[in-house]
Amino acid sequence: MKLSKKVVLLGHFGVGKTSLFRRFIDNEFSEEYKVTLGVQIKKKVIQLPDGRELSMIIWDTEGHSNTVEDTRKSYLLGSHAFIYVFDLTREDTYKNLNSDLDYLKNNYNKVVTKVIGNKLDLVNENEASKRLEEQRIPFDCLTSAKTNENVQDFFTDLAVEITK
Amino acid sequence: MEDPKDKLQFNPQIQVTKVSYQGIIEETDTTLFKWSKGMLIYDTHPFFEVLRTLEDSHFIDKKELNFPCIHLEEGKLERICDLTIKPNGQQITIFLYDYTDKYKEVNQIAQQKNESILLAKELELRNKYLLEKEEFKNSFIANINHEIRTPLTSILGFVQVLEKTPLTFEQEELARIIKRESRHLNSLIDDMIDIAKIESGTLKIVQERFAFRDLIAGFDETYSKAAKEKEISFETYVESNIQEYLIGDRTRVYQILNNILNNAFKFTEEGRIKFTISKNYQRTNKLSLTFKIEDTGMGILEENIPYLFERFTRFDHDKQISGTGLGLAIVKNLVDLLNGEIKVISEPDKGTTFCVKLPFKFEITKTTIGRKKKKYTLPPNKKKFRILLVEDEEITQYLIMKILISQGTYFVDIAINGEQAINYIEKRQYDLILMDLTVSKIDGYKASQMIRNNYGDKFISEIPIIGFSGKTDHNARDKCIRSGMDDFIAKPFEQEELLYKIIKQIAKKAAD
Repeated sequence: MKLSKKVVLLGHFGVGKTSLFRRFIDNEFSEEYKVTLGVQIKKKVIQLPDGRELSMIIWDTEGHSNTVEDTRKSYLLGSHAFIYVFDLTREDTYKNLNSDLDYLKNNYNKVVTKVIGNKLDLVNENEASKRLEEQRIPFDCLTSAKTNENVQDFFTDLAVEITK
Repeated sequence: MEDPKDKLQFNPQIQVTKVSYQGIIEETDTTLFKWSKGMLIYDTHPFFEVLRTLEDSHFIDKKELNFPCIHLEEGKLERICDLTIKPNGQQITIFLYDYTDKYKEVNQIAQQKNESILLAKELELRNKYLLEKEEFKNSFIANINHEIRTPLTSILGFVQVLEKTPLTFEQEELARIIKRESRHLNSLIDDMIDIAKIESGTLKIVQERFAFRDLIAGFDETYSKAAKEKEISFETYVESNIQEYLIGDRTRVYQILNNILNNAFKFTEEGRIKFTISKNYQRTNKLSLTFKIEDTGMGILEENIPYLFERFTRFDHDKQISGTGLGLAIVKNLVDLLNGEIKVISEPDKGTTFCVKLPFKFEITKTTIGRKKKKYTLPPNKKKFRILLVEDEEITQYLIMKILISQGTYFVDIAINGEQAINYIEKRQYDLILMDLTVSKIDGYKASQMIRNNYGDKFISEIPIIGFSGKTDHNARDKCIRSGMDDFIAKPFEQEELLYKIIKQIAKKAAD
């Protein structure tokens, strides 16, 4: 049977979830902001280092405006990984990050959860990392969907992790 | 999000599909999508991969699962559907409700709402960025100012030292050029700092009593000499009913008039420059003056006049004349800050007239006694005076040493930081301390406070202290005085000014 894993993109609206989704799946980027309503789902087949093929089913969900609890529960069913995306230029997109992570951990403890700070092209990486550390904001990766910085590597690493 | 009642009004089209637990379509209609019996549901859209992951536990509380607002594509066709998945014996029944039109409507509203929030955030961010940039620029200018003024002090100072040595005529001329250009560079730095201060709103206007007629006499003296050199005529007329002393910002009034006069001289090669000061009105203790500066210079094209006061404006014919294009921008900003008005009339090849109206105040009760710069002499009881120079830059140390030692009346000790200065004054008696404000370990302000407060011995606690620095923000002098210093001198300083201040402080101390 084909290896298939469900990955859900979560986070505030306008943080670049759809841009990351499009960058990873189709290697495309648009400056134009288009709101996502509900969920868009696409599949990408990834060649794993051990030769297996993974069918990554990515759910690009509608951004919430407050906490991740606002996301429809049914979208999260059967997930193998959550990618919580925040915008490095908007503090309000990560002010609830720690409580959101607690919520995910308490309700979906078997699901791998990763945190991405996106829009790296708009900030100085060192300053941004330092600021996040000072504010005790955990993150796994800083990306730019616009420049494709760290995007492919992030998803590849995630694919390996969820198929271990 | 959408109100379910609203959604009902849409009467969605529905497709019902039955699949086996292996995902094979066993029964379907084609109302929305062209699926057929025997197809694998997983091949129709990645959404249905969810069926592989669903477990019985997901259905424990409910008999069905609902997935609202799912974007389903088939080729180029996209429908936004609500899906209901219902286990039914050996089959799973999937109900697809097409709400595309309704969701597209909701989408527009959400788009507008989110866009306006994002735009507000973007503006906030841009504003923050501009403020940070402005802050960086101001601090950069303040720092670069200090860095430039220090070597400039050395250049100006050493040229003055050099001028006092035997020089050939040619060397004398070269020294004169270096001095002139250094002063010009210094005034350019002043312009840059003023523009930065004006833009950041930190330029403070002061109201002080000053000798107005002396100020005008100073212009007359300086520019009469310049006119003589250029072989043009310069005339100054001051209405006799204008007070000797006025209240206003002397420095800024000087800057405005000096800039305009300087410009008039730059652009006038023949003819005359006329400087007229007249009174517009006087009420109680307020008066308004008009300063008119007329020249017979090259003039300005009418279409260029509106751009005259913009920063870095230099017209084609200006290019051969030195300048930054900041002078008139500063003038306009200063006139505005002083609540004045400025007008220009000009005709190419005939000349230009600048009219500046400025408000002032004057004291009604006080008599207007002239305040001439008082002369001081060193006390005759000592032949030599010991000065402690607190300075960490070698070049400035050398310059001040040269200036003081050439007078033949001073011994100079050098401390390279505040801590060393404190050690020195405890061991030796000094007549004066020249204190750089930014020395290391203990800075000039702190060291002065310690000298004033920590010693019972008057020979230490009352040593005259003159602070000096290249950082010439408006409160440097006030800060020096508050720290217990007696005076302040800004870099780059003229040799005469430094010596005057030293003699003044030593003489004052001796008179106490």
